[in-house]
Amino acid sequence: MLTYVLRTLVKMAITLVVIVSLVFFATRLSGNPVDFVLGEGITREDRELLIAYYGLDASIGTQYWRYLASVFSGEFGLSFLERRPVSQIVLGRAWPSLKLLLSAVSFTLIVSVPLGILAAIYRTSIVGSVVMVIAFLGYAVPAFIIGILLVLIFGYTLNWLPVIGDGSALHFIMPTLAISGMLVAAITRFTRNAMLDVLSQDYMRTARAKGLPEWIVILKHGLRNASITLLSVIGLQIAGLAAAGSVVVEAIFAWPGIGDLLVRSAILRDYPVLQFGVLSVAIVVIVINATVDIAYAYADPRIRLAKG
Amino acid sequence: MTDVTQTSSSRGTPFHIPMWSDANWIVRIALLVGLALIVVALAAPLIAPFDPNDQSLISRLRPPLGFERYKDGFFLGTDELGRDILSRCIYGLRLTFALALAGSIIGLLIGGTLGLLAGIAGGVLEDLVMGMVDIQIAIPFTLIALLILAVMGSSLDVMILVLGVYGWEQYARIVRAEVKKLIQMPFVEAAQAAGATPLRIAFRHILPNVVSPIVVQFTLNFSNIVILESTLSFLGLGVQPPTATLGSMVGIGRDYLPTAPWIVLVPAAAILLLTFAVQILGDWLRDKADVRLRTR
Amino acid sequence: MTKLLATTALASLIATGAFASELTVGAANVSSYLDPGRDHSNVGSQFYYNAFDTLIAKNHDTTDTEWLPGLATEWKLINPTVMELKLREGVKFHNGEDMTADDVVFSLNRMYQADFPPYQVRARDRLGNFEKAEKIDDYTVRITAKRPEPLWETLLNLQQVMIIPLDYTKSLAGDPDKIEHDDYEAFSLKPVGTGPYKVVDFVPGERVVWERFDDFWGEKAPLDKVTVKHMPETASRITSLKTGEADIVTNIAPDQLGLIENDPDMKAAGSATALFHVMIMNVNHPKLKDPRIRQAMSLAIDRDTLNEALWGGKAVVPSTHTLKEFGELYQPELTTFEYNPEKAKELLKEAGYDGFEITYDTAPSYYTNGVLAAQAIMEMWAEVGIEGRVNVQDKWSGSSADMMARNWSNPMYFADPFGSFGVMWAPHGPSESEGRFNTDEDYAKAWEQFRFSGDTELRRAAYAELMERIKQDPPVLPLYRPYESWAMKTNIDWAPKPGHIPYVLDFRAGSIAVN
Repeated sequence: MLTYVLRTLVKMAITLVVIVSLVFFATRLSGNPVDFVLGEGITREDRELLIAYYGLDASIGTQYWRYLASVFSGEFGLSFLERRPVSQIVLGRAWPSLKLLLSAVSFTLIVSVPLGILAAIYRTSIVGSVVMVIAFLGYAVPAFIIGILLVLIFGYTLNWLPVIGDGSALHFIMPTLAISGMLVAAITRFTRNAMLDVLSQDYMRTARAKGLPEWIVILKHGLRNASITLLSVIGLQIAGLAAAGSVVVEAIFAWPGIGDLLVRSAILRDYPVLQFGVLSVAIVVIVINATVDIAYAYADPRIRLAKG
Repeated sequence: MTDVTQTSSSRGTPFHIPMWSDANWIVRIALLVGLALIVVALAAPLIAPFDPNDQSLISRLRPPLGFERYKDGFFLGTDELGRDILSRCIYGLRLTFALALAGSIIGLLIGGTLGLLAGIAGGVLEDLVMGMVDIQIAIPFTLIALLILAVMGSSLDVMILVLGVYGWEQYARIVRAEVKKLIQMPFVEAAQAAGATPLRIAFRHILPNVVSPIVVQFTLNFSNIVILESTLSFLGLGVQPPTATLGSMVGIGRDYLPTAPWIVLVPAAAILLLTFAVQILGDWLRDKADVRLRTR
Repeated sequence: MTKLLATTALASLIATGAFASELTVGAANVSSYLDPGRDHSNVGSQFYYNAFDTLIAKNHDTTDTEWLPGLATEWKLINPTVMELKLREGVKFHNGEDMTADDVVFSLNRMYQADFPPYQVRARDRLGNFEKAEKIDDYTVRITAKRPEPLWETLLNLQQVMIIPLDYTKSLAGDPDKIEHDDYEAFSLKPVGTGPYKVVDFVPGERVVWERFDDFWGEKAPLDKVTVKHMPETASRITSLKTGEADIVTNIAPDQLGLIENDPDMKAAGSATALFHVMIMNVNHPKLKDPRIRQAMSLAIDRDTLNEALWGGKAVVPSTHTLKEFGELYQPELTTFEYNPEKAKELLKEAGYDGFEITYDTAPSYYTNGVLAAQAIMEMWAEVGIEGRVNVQDKWSGSSADMMARNWSNPMYFADPFGSFGVMWAPHGPSESEGRFNTDEDYAKAWEQFRFSGDTELRRAAYAELMERIKQDPPVLPLYRPYESWAMKTNIDWAPKPGHIPYVLDFRAGSIAVN
């Protein structure tokens, strides 16, 4: 198990280095901030002046080396636009995003695991079909449409819920619903399918033959075994949501989150913010993944043994 | 998708092509809807009453039939430039269909192949593939899309590439996980013992058994791509105007939701129908393809 | 149940709203930094007037030019290139420091003799004629220009030369007794001025909070506290007025006005903003070298129809590059730009246009109606046979040799043609330097006369000559003055004042009332 953990750690480190490098070169390949925000309608000489001021005139190799050096010294630089440390900018945005993510994940698990089990058990009846149709709605409507419709209904028309920012518990309701739509649909389906796989296994028949009540059979044997498959899927989905963030939902609810920050800094080519932001998100995602991997390995003896 | 029609699974249970008679009413509806959408998409130039890009600035934002200020002939209303919503939806459906299909297939090919390789070969190759998967998962996709579009320019070809890159890692992970599970199953070990080549094992014994999760993933991926394309339009990164896709109509038109909701609701309904059909059919195929369920 | 839920949900919001003198503004964009010197963006101009003062102030209730004492109480030319200003005594900065000649000289020279690149860039296009500012005594300052300057007051009323404190700025970073670049960088996060509101909280891109500054030298601010919050999405911005989360919101597109006006809880205020949305054309693009092609691109565009369709007729379509705010230099009688599709077709034929594709770049959302107008223009081009294609991208393509045409805005940075057309189209100015515009000796001569002549008639004549040049070999077409709107709760009395540069949120005494 120790070697497994070590292996995972080394893998994480490599992944992070590759990601940082990829982002570094890809962003520079795609243009510089002077061409996106700072340099509209200025003379060529002034453009050069700004490029030099922001240290963008050095060769890309030198810039990369400087960047790596600064990363190892714990200095991640200043935003080109805001001129404050990127760590301050990104960390200020991370907590609101994390809160929303937790809220969405909790909501999703509470709703979709029971729904998925229901849909599996009542696969052939109307209950199963209805559940799946409801779940699929979350998949078929873009989050921003759900978001704007919620805003118009519960904010504009009914005045029940606040729409701007993350000030109170009430502020979480609509963004959570908007962001969870797709996740609920996905987890419900995966739960259903994992349960279906499990329900037909031999050990289920054995359990039933032992005369255990059906709900115990389902929860104890069924869900436990299905959860192995589910675990990886849920982990993947959560990691995906953490990474893709919810730029769209954040924009609609003026949520001071990291998705919005990353897309904005990417559009404006604010490299330092982008690099640190991507790095932070990547660390979170990788940690989630590693946790899931370890849990998965723990839950499934074959993999645990295989990995030694 | 040829896997579905494999004549036998590794366990030797014959597989039969799903039939109309097997389908319950929801599946039947989905089949009909799907068929209708395909026909509409294919026949777009014949069906659409107007050129989807023809503007009429003096009749902008006209509502659909049955509402005040309705403009004759424009059944579903006009958009912010006076273009016919119905025609744009029809052409938009065609393009959305094409983009989502191309994107899903590319993703499946990339991810499925890599996942299969990783699962069977193991070792360094597996580490490499899974490393790539980890990287892909850890970088926000909108960012990847944005950078690809910035470097390669925004055209339909590039958009297909972007959508194709999306989701490959999910296929890869799922296929690899299934393969690793299967490879230790008695029937695979038996085949190995019988001297079957890895290639034969992959195609003959493993592939048919990962069909079920792949089908589900494919349908999810298809819907995801439709939504993703819409999200890119929301961010100003979608297909270039005036070209219509269902997603871009929703993404760009969202500002009109309070004032001229038909601009958004009509294409949103079309997206709903499309993803509905795809996913219900996906679920059904999956259930049919599942050996164990069928024999139960 | 509905009532109950609403009451508890909004209790806290209503509580803050009950203080009539606290206000929340929902802004589509919030600045990334706050330094009046380095900024000339349309986003930034929202934020400076409440917290900063200029030496010479202006009556903003009218488009006419009427100078008022600001931080300087009197000013006189002591020779054609030197102006002497008497400073107001007893003016305090928000940090409690007294304002003296040292602060004024520092503020001016940081632009006039800039060595900080962002200041250099900003000073070059409009403050190039100023050599230095000198302290005579604690309350007297002299400013020296390189050549006789016809626009003294105008150029001392600029946002870029608002007054900031010397000692405070010095102390921000590095050596507390020296001015370094890092001091300027730090200032833009913690700005301090002399205006009626002080900035008490600033999170770049997210929010700006002003509080009344009780030691303000003039009439005290009418509001205790104003919070400007970033609210990017239109539907949410409008909704925030209904839920009580905002009192005023910015950037309401014309198509949304109906919604506001039909709602008893809200109202809108707006004006044809003092800037032009323009189409720029690259005169040096190999395919567009023939001026007839660019003339045709311009003549094909029916700007009145754009105005009617996209702006409800509320925008203003100009016949030449002129604005009412220019006072004596307002020349609406010139006809530089017109709509004439027949002539466009002819010119295309003469020029041998063979149907090659002309791209038109636009940012996805920066300009209200920008992408819509671009698509409509493509249709109008098609009418005369031009094959156009919209290219939506965030990149500023104006400095690229491949750029053919794109949209842009030409704000009125100050109320003179030099502050609008002049900044962008000067010889060796930004447009020429970016490689999409050419000037020659004659143009430079006319430009010199328009810029520096002390005789208004000569300036008018020179400007007319420049416009004729633009007509013959067009690099630009002003589309319209966009009609920009703000929405607010019905108890707020606020409207953009006609004498301001675009987008200023003016909450000074006499500019806003809460009922």
